[in-house]
Amino acid sequence: MSFLLALIIGILYGAGTYMILRRSLVKVILGLIFLGHAANLLIFTIGRLTKGAPPFIPQGAETLAEPYADPLPQALILTAIVIGFGVQAFAIVLFKRTYQTVGTDDLDKMKSTDELK
Amino acid sequence: MLNLILIGFAASAIAPFIYKPLKNYFGWIAATFPLYIFLSFISRYNQIAGGDIIRETFNWIPSLGINFTFLLDGLSLTFVLIITLIGVVVFLYAGAYMKDYDHADRFFVYIGIFMTSMVGMVISDNMITLFVFWELTSITSYLLIGFNHHKEKSRKYALQALLVTGGGGLALMAGFILLSQISGSLEISSLYDLNETIRNAPTYTAIVILVLIGAFTKSAQFPFQFWLPNAMEAPTPVSAYLHSATMVKAGIYLIARMNHSLGGSALWQDTILIVGAITMLFAATLSFNQMDLKKLLAYSTLSVLGTLTMLLGIGSKLAIKAFFIYIIAHSLYKGTLFLVAGILDHETGTRDVSKLGGLRKHLPITTVIAALASFSMMGIIPLVGFIGKETVYSAILEVDYWGLFLLSISVIANALIVMITILVGFKPFWGKLLSTPKAPHEAPIKMWLGPLALAVLGLLMGIFPNVFIGRLLDQSAISIISEKLELPIKLWHGFNFVLLMSFVTLLLGVGVYYFRTKILHIAQNLKIKNIFKPSEWYEFLLNGMMSFAKLQTKVLQNGYLRNYIIFILVTAVSLASLALFKVENLFRITPDFSITFYESAIVIIIVLATFMVIISDSRLKSIVGIGVVGFTMGIIFIIHSAPDLALTTFAIETLTVILFVLVLYKLPKFLPFSKSYSRLRDIIIASSVGLFMTLVVLYITSIELQSELKKFYTDNSVPGGKGRNVVNVILVDFRAIDTLGEITVLAIAAIGVFALLKLKLEDRNK
Amino acid sequence: MLNSLQDLYHIIPLLIVSGGILVSIIVEMYSKDSEKILFALSILVFGAAGLFSLYSVNNVSILFNGMLATGGNVNVFSFIFNIGAFIVTLLSADYIRKYGTYYGEYYIILQSSVLGMMLMAGAKDLFIIFIGLELMSISFYVLAGLNRKRYNANEASLKYFLLGAFATGFIVYGIGLIYGTAQTTSIDILTVRFPQLTGNLLFLAGVLLFLVGFTFKIAAFPFHMWVPDVYQGSPTVVAGLFSTGGKAAAFSAILVTLAALFNGNVGSLFTPYLIFVSALSMIYGSIVAISQDDIKRMLAYSSISHAGYLAIGLAAGNSEGTAGIIFYLAAYSFMNLGAFGIVALIEGENETNLSIASYAGLAKRNPALAALLSIFMFSLSGIPPFAGFFGKYYVFFAAIKSGLTWLALIGILSSVISVYFYLRIVVLMYFKDQGEEVIPSKSAMGMVGVVLSAILVVLLGVFPGSIINLISSFL
Repeated sequence: MSFLLALIIGILYGAGTYMILRRSLVKVILGLIFLGHAANLLIFTIGRLTKGAPPFIPQGAETLAEPYADPLPQALILTAIVIGFGVQAFAIVLFKRTYQTVGTDDLDKMKSTDELK
Repeated sequence: MLNLILIGFAASAIAPFIYKPLKNYFGWIAATFPLYIFLSFISRYNQIAGGDIIRETFNWIPSLGINFTFLLDGLSLTFVLIITLIGVVVFLYAGAYMKDYDHADRFFVYIGIFMTSMVGMVISDNMITLFVFWELTSITSYLLIGFNHHKEKSRKYALQALLVTGGGGLALMAGFILLSQISGSLEISSLYDLNETIRNAPTYTAIVILVLIGAFTKSAQFPFQFWLPNAMEAPTPVSAYLHSATMVKAGIYLIARMNHSLGGSALWQDTILIVGAITMLFAATLSFNQMDLKKLLAYSTLSVLGTLTMLLGIGSKLAIKAFFIYIIAHSLYKGTLFLVAGILDHETGTRDVSKLGGLRKHLPITTVIAALASFSMMGIIPLVGFIGKETVYSAILEVDYWGLFLLSISVIANALIVMITILVGFKPFWGKLLSTPKAPHEAPIKMWLGPLALAVLGLLMGIFPNVFIGRLLDQSAISIISEKLELPIKLWHGFNFVLLMSFVTLLLGVGVYYFRTKILHIAQNLKIKNIFKPSEWYEFLLNGMMSFAKLQTKVLQNGYLRNYIIFILVTAVSLASLALFKVENLFRITPDFSITFYESAIVIIIVLATFMVIISDSRLKSIVGIGVVGFTMGIIFIIHSAPDLALTTFAIETLTVILFVLVLYKLPKFLPFSKSYSRLRDIIIASSVGLFMTLVVLYITSIELQSELKKFYTDNSVPGGKGRNVVNVILVDFRAIDTLGEITVLAIAAIGVFALLKLKLEDRNK
Repeated sequence: MLNSLQDLYHIIPLLIVSGGILVSIIVEMYSKDSEKILFALSILVFGAAGLFSLYSVNNVSILFNGMLATGGNVNVFSFIFNIGAFIVTLLSADYIRKYGTYYGEYYIILQSSVLGMMLMAGAKDLFIIFIGLELMSISFYVLAGLNRKRYNANEASLKYFLLGAFATGFIVYGIGLIYGTAQTTSIDILTVRFPQLTGNLLFLAGVLLFLVGFTFKIAAFPFHMWVPDVYQGSPTVVAGLFSTGGKAAAFSAILVTLAALFNGNVGSLFTPYLIFVSALSMIYGSIVAISQDDIKRMLAYSSISHAGYLAIGLAAGNSEGTAGIIFYLAAYSFMNLGAFGIVALIEGENETNLSIASYAGLAKRNPALAALLSIFMFSLSGIPPFAGFFGKYYVFFAAIKSGLTWLALIGILSSVISVYFYLRIVVLMYFKDQGEEVIPSKSAMGMVGVVLSAILVVLLGVFPGSIINLISSFL
């Protein structure tokens, strides 16, 4: 399945990139969510895939015998997912407020830059 | 010697506090300060002239080898004495001259710091402390040039002078660091025995170029000469002191100081000689159409600086002798003439030579002073300027092959200087009385006493050269060429070729003076365009930078977020691709193609949902689509033995969808903003990013994997963490600090969300 | 995993700041007049954490299963962050009130950003770096848009957030690749494994992406575009924090990582990239700064070129370079904070008086402020004997020592250009009489902050020896 996952990761990254290049704010948020998914899946896939062997140590045993899934990437992704959610929530609220203050969700209308003599 | 430097800075700092109450006597008080330093150093005259070298070290940053190491030898003592002696005169003079200026107290702070730094510079043995003092002189010069601050020009030229000299100083620093890499020490005296090693070092050329850039910018050598005439915007005491007698000689001092360690190569000697000669001639010709007293003097100063540089380039014993006599003579007469120009300006209200004439009855003392200094500058016996010019000519004559050529151009340059002298030193006083903006009258004693003393000193030195210069000369020469001169110094060398040349110079000068309007007329008719105008290069560079800035605002910094992102993406992906495409056998990969029915279903769902989000023009459909993608991710995690991840994903996805739905109606509807060509561009960018990522994942998963940490965590989970779900144990035990950080991040995000919402609430309340 | 009480002692600075955040949240919840209390609390927290960091600088240890280091240069960084934040707090006291938009969260978020910086500097694990970075960045996003209802501020916050999140994406992706190839995120293990991994281009691509992400965070070319827009749109004192603490923290993280990479003498693999970033940042920042009319944008572009000078130290890749960067960051933090502090004092209501022309004739109306700003400008342009000079000297020295003379020369060229735009301000203040009647706001606390910065700048310039010795002793 790793080939398919590689494909999915590519599609998610591509979709995310396309979306954050839109002018509409909401689409940009959606793009960020795509990128978040893509990154998580990326770490997950390059940590290698194992089917049907979660890293649970059964009662009575001291350790696990191969094959079993690597627990470390899972722990890292868990942290990343949660942080990603925090960032997402912040993004949604920030965008909403920007929309209310600026009065547009067209990013191309937000372009203050150098004012030269 | 450190205490003298510290006293200098302290004295400068207290100037503003005593200036107001003592305004009328301030010149006298201020003059005691350079006088004190002068006396402190002259007390060591006998010791130094006897061949001693005084060296003192005070630690500053010992770990970097940067210390206050002071070295007093013949060369530095000569310079210190010039600096402080002229300082006495200028400080006294400025007390009267600056009286009507605003912030005259500040003026004394700057000039006090300048003098102290200048002294510090010439006695520094450590290259970095030398550099620090060097830059301090540039800054104070900058502050002093800009002192007439109501003039737009002053501001512009002050900055120009600082950029040129300060920038050159930085180049010098780079040269010093390179030099210290060879010797392993930052002390100049430690380089003395290493001349051979340094010259053979691969970095030698770079060192020479960098050091010379520093020296040439400071001493206004071609092509950096343009800042000096422009610096004449400064009040006259500053021009007399910094831009003629002392600071502009710092570069020449540096060449002299480094000659010991860097000299002897064709690169060093020839560069100095040629640049010096060009400056000498070029600057003198530029004086031709000038009518401003100070500008005229500035060009003659430039020419003399060129001559001094050229003498160092010649580097023979006679040249070094000429160098010292000339530098002393020049400081005496040029300082004086600048001060005379200041008196004229102050008492008549103009500096335009064509408006000055016949003032001898109104300013008798000034007339005498001007005449004495002018005779010295023209090289008339028995003044010290005469000895100077004689020795310079004989040193030039010694040069192989080029001797006669060099001599002829220096005769021309000196003839032009004679013309300048007549314009500045005689024309204002003799002939018909011309009316001036202010009714002319003699200057106060504070203003003429000092110049008179300098002029008389020039006469005495000419008559008794051995008494004043002779004893220190040998020691000074040792500092430059490590040889004693053993050339006696005397006023009269008999009737010889050199004397004839002096005479020719005078005649030529007088002739040029009388015919200068005609010559100028002819020259203008020839319409020779002056391509040697480095000041225009300066303007050109500055304007170029401005246009670059404007261009980048249009292209790069245009405010469009999208363009920023595209720029970042394209740069990053191309950088990473560069790395990736060097991998050999990238496509030797045999990916795992085994696919079950469920898996293909998952893939189809995720792809469809993704495209739905992209294409949809309805917000609700997009959110449904993003939710589907999220939940499918969870299923992928379940299939691949990550139930914890799946649970988290489900929870978070639910929250995301809820959050979206909650604020959905506060969010704008989708509008078709983008044009089709920009869509196409974005599709291309997005596809290449996606393709790149897929390739990377395929490549990574094809590599063998051996994880020791995996085993470590599973082995220690039960005994160390007392838990059976290894992922959980890692989160709450092994990597608890990750989790703690994660919680903090969430909390801060929550506070941020709260802050943003609260703002809205408060608006509504108002 | 803490092994003993001794370990707690080592992380006291971290505990002080974390405790400060918690107490602040409680105070904000229950107190009606929270502003003064929170201000005092922040002062106390930053002062105590900063001073304790310096006091316990010799307690070098590694905690939490090798994930966090304390003591040594970690504490030097911690000192820079905390004292910097201390100054920012002082500057904020009246500044945020000037607009009538005080929020209790301000000080809480200020503290949390500093906590993030401290985690980054102490990190011994890539993931800790990531968490510290997120903590700092999210706090920054909030700070950028917190105070005002203005169009500019919102736009700034939005751009900062989007580009920042994007850069974080690069860093995560880089960490992902590093983890995927090296099987670890622990920097100590990476150090050991690095020599075997130099042939693995994917690993190198990971490191490169990690560096690219941080190039954004240090505000260097070619990932600098957010800088001018964000500095201009953010509250001035906050922009001061972004440009100093934010930059310093990002550099500390790069140093931590590169320390691992340079171990095997193969760090030179990344030298071309660092040289590229360094040279272009210096030249680009300086040239564009020349044309700026808005003082905050001018400082923003100059901050890009300072990132370039600092990157020289990275490219040099020797211990002098590292020591140079740390010293430079200390100097830069204080001088830039001082400059931003004065800009904040001069700034009028509704973001007026931010043009460079507002400084004309300041020396007449307010000699003290003009003198202080001149110190900062001289120091920023690297003129001795102020702190900025030794920072530059040190990195140039490091570059020349490792054979990158021409990079040092580009730095020198850029310094010359920078003299032009920094001293243009001094020229205006001293040499120009007429000017608009700009009355700086009276803020005792703000003045204390500015004067403190000036004292530190002068002290670091006149007596750089002791701190240089301290930094080098840990390398």
